[in-house]
Amino acid sequence: MNKLDDLKKIYDSTEITDELEFKVRQSIRRTKLKNGMQLGKKFAIASVASLIIFTGMVNINQSFAMAMSELPVIGAVVKVLSYRFDVIENDNVNADIEAPVISGLEDEVLENALNEKYYEESKALYDDFIEEMGEIIEMDGHLGVDSGYVVMTDTDKILSIGRYVVNTVGSSSTTVQYDTIDKEEGILITLPGLFKDDAYIKRLSDYIIETMKSEMANDDSKVYWVGDDQFSSFESIDANQSFYITEEGKLVLSFDKYEIAPGYMGVITFEIPTEIISDLLVNSTDEGYVKP
Amino acid sequence: MLQQYILKNKEAHYKMAFSYTKSKEDALDVVQDSIEKALRSYKKNGAPDHLNSWFYRILINTAIDYTRKNKRITLMEQEKMEFLLEAEDQYRNFDLETAMEKLPNAYKTIIVLRFFEDLKISDIAEVLGENVNTVKTRLYKGLELLKIEMKEDDNE
Repeated sequence: MNKLDDLKKIYDSTEITDELEFKVRQSIRRTKLKNGMQLGKKFAIASVASLIIFTGMVNINQSFAMAMSELPVIGAVVKVLSYRFDVIENDNVNADIEAPVISGLEDEVLENALNEKYYEESKALYDDFIEEMGEIIEMDGHLGVDSGYVVMTDTDKILSIGRYVVNTVGSSSTTVQYDTIDKEEGILITLPGLFKDDAYIKRLSDYIIETMKSEMANDDSKVYWVGDDQFSSFESIDANQSFYITEEGKLVLSFDKYEIAPGYMGVITFEIPTEIISDLLVNSTDEGYVKP
Repeated sequence: MLQQYILKNKEAHYKMAFSYTKSKEDALDVVQDSIEKALRSYKKNGAPDHLNSWFYRILINTAIDYTRKNKRITLMEQEKMEFLLEAEDQYRNFDLETAMEKLPNAYKTIIVLRFFEDLKISDIAEVLGENVNTVKTRLYKGLELLKIEMKEDDNE
């Protein structure tokens, strides 16, 4: 059994990289954060006071820059402003967190709820960053957070905003969340709200499973967690799966990094051909949100 | 509970991942992917009966998938590593190490789990979803393969 002892010695002497501790904590926090990022039920209104307290606190801790920047007016009705928190400790430790602020929506309650949500999420990111920063600097490690938003679609009728969180240490985007607003009616469009009943969940899930399998069969570099791996095999979309609607009126479902595939696949989106869901849509005509 | 388990056993998990990937970055990727998978499954399906076996199963599946998709890179890393090690680390038993590397995953996994991670045969059976007898057979077969490889090398 001496040979085995030799092998065990080699095995045990595997050098443990300092990054391990950080990466493991990062993965655990990522799933936690994901939970915390759902839109809260209580529609508290973002107050100016809380913003001031926050910036005050930031000023004490960090070199801090806050810029209110007004983007060119988007669409006729809704404007998107933004504010940002920047923390630049050094080359290896920095955060750039930009949050959108929607203004001009007819429905002020909705507008406030969205802005409050964007603010809370950005603050949570920032707080996490600050909490971790000391330890990372001590370890001489890297820590980078880059968060911001992209206007995916802006037509006369709808506005789709995607907010992303990129971990610049890891590599590609970690999470993207979308909100799609009917600008005319001033309502937030939900995925269940597009369909007559729950049947869309299975229909979309089946389509995505089929697409994943055929992509894997045709392209060796693609891996999705679907099929025989019973632990994380994709079975169904969430009833409120992250989505947006394109300018052409196509429904796009989005999956975060790690949600349905290994990390290197990044964030994954699937555009759904309208014909596979048209019988399930509340309005499948040209007047609907999702168009033929 | 799962989070504590993950934090507490991260070094063992990393070593296990490294035994497949042979590179630091890839091993870290495998550990991270496994944690994400585990936490998601945990949230969806609740706590498994045996946390340790369950996690090893995820880890091993992820590692094997990973090496399959990244074969070319893994080989390159491995060659580089062996070259570097050869220069300084004389007491290492390279023949044995190489024999171990060459061992098909089905055997290697069992040897690692049994002798390096100190899991019981019944636990390994649970990890692999095989019955106890299959695991025993493969364990002895694996050991036998190691010896055979060694003898052939000795004759050269």
